[in-house]
Amino acid sequence: MKAVRWAREHLLPWVVFLAVWEILSYVLPIPSSLRILHLGWGDVTNPGFASALVSSLGRMVVGFTAATGLGICLGMLIGQYRTVDNILGTLASALNAMPGAAWVPLAIFLFGLNQKAVIFTIVLGATGVVMLNTSFGIKDVPPLLIRAARTMGASGPSLFWHVIIPAATPRIIDGLRLAWAFGWRALMAGELLISSVNGMGQLLSTVAKQGNIEQLLAYMGILALIGMTVDGLIFNRLIGDRLRARRGTA
Amino acid sequence: MLQEINLEIAEGEFICLVGPSGCGKSTLINLIAGLEMPTSGRVLVDGVPVAGPGTDRVVVFQEAALFPWLNVQQNVEFGLKMAGMPAEKRKERSAEYLRMVHLSRFVDAYPHQLSGGMKQRVAIARSLAMDPKILLMDEPFAALDAQTRQLLHQELLEIWQQTRKTIFFVTHNVREATVLGDKVLTISARPGRLKKGFAIHLPRPRRESDPHLIVIQQRILLSLQEEIAKVVKDEDMDYLIEKEAGRSIDGPTIGGAL
Repeated sequence: MKAVRWAREHLLPWVVFLAVWEILSYVLPIPSSLRILHLGWGDVTNPGFASALVSSLGRMVVGFTAATGLGICLGMLIGQYRTVDNILGTLASALNAMPGAAWVPLAIFLFGLNQKAVIFTIVLGATGVVMLNTSFGIKDVPPLLIRAARTMGASGPSLFWHVIIPAATPRIIDGLRLAWAFGWRALMAGELLISSVNGMGQLLSTVAKQGNIEQLLAYMGILALIGMTVDGLIFNRLIGDRLRARRGTA
Repeated sequence: MLQEINLEIAEGEFICLVGPSGCGKSTLINLIAGLEMPTSGRVLVDGVPVAGPGTDRVVVFQEAALFPWLNVQQNVEFGLKMAGMPAEKRKERSAEYLRMVHLSRFVDAYPHQLSGGMKQRVAIARSLAMDPKILLMDEPFAALDAQTRQLLHQELLEIWQQTRKTIFFVTHNVREATVLGDKVLTISARPGRLKKGFAIHLPRPRRESDPHLIVIQQRILLSLQEEIAKVVKDEDMDYLIEKEAGRSIDGPTIGGAL
């Protein structure tokens, strides 16, 4: 029963979408959806594609980890100390407001046309949102919880690690989730503009130049699928749902 | 906010403080707890001035203020963990106090799974586990329904008789105060001053409808009535001033020339 319901809610819309597309492709000058699916399946088992995907994902992991570490540390300082907030708070907002792709020219100028520039783009595209969410999470801890903890002997570091950080965790996780999305966009922007680097961006621009639209759409579909999987499965299912269930905020 | 508060609480006493909202009852609790510092005067516990929050004076707030990421047992153990007590001993201690508030079956539950009354019982267990000299209670049952509140009155009295803790209980509910306290104090509004004390020698458990108790309740209400009138009048005058200020800038000046 559960499987049937899952299929109806999650699979059926896709089947309908692809079927309508397929039918339209007989009348309109658009590529066939089945052909794209077939190509996509072929890509997954192709070693050349796998190597491109792995190098892109590798950059993403490095960039995301750096952005997370940097963002959480700076966000904690901003949330906790007013003076740091005065100095870095606006900077974090500015960083957050900047589209990730806008860092690419500067990245190329600083590092040249290589993967360092791509990682730089990811880090700057994703750090701001982690910083802001971490600092807001810390500032928004209910004062009552802090007062209760203080009467029970918590102060300084113990108050910070045992009350403020756990209370701010849902917001910090929100920040990480957005950072993944922003980083993913920044990665593609970087790789498309620095197409000498092996990766998904290079594949996309190559097939687009060849005019191979079906292959291009297959690649794009795979990119969307990876983004959805990480967001839906890891951030929403594995982390978010557990956190919400425990705290009853679902 | 508060002025000339001279209050002595003897060990093991159950003292209730009643007064209208906004007269500084919570401020007094915060001063004793060390969460706020007095602008003048001192708070002494066993002759030692209060310099900040301390585990000898724990507060039970109106909202239970439980940590939503910890389960019931971990919530009760929070203060013990802060004090560096080893896990084994913490577990023993939390089990003991959870038994006292009849929540042994809920050690693994998270706060959002509990009713308001249960949350407040966890908060009481959490405070008692610290073994404080004085338990400060800031309208702890104000947000509960009448039946739950009565149940918790009984439970609190049992706990008090078992542990012989000093309890300072703040409320705006006169009946609650008379059912619980050895002594009921009234506080005046703006500035908050202690007004009168009423000793209650009736044996517990007391019924809210006990005629002896009703007589005392009437006397307390009488003492509070002028204060409530004062608050209402104050608020009315604020309202008038606001209206005036909205109408013209040449209106009456408040607090001297601007």
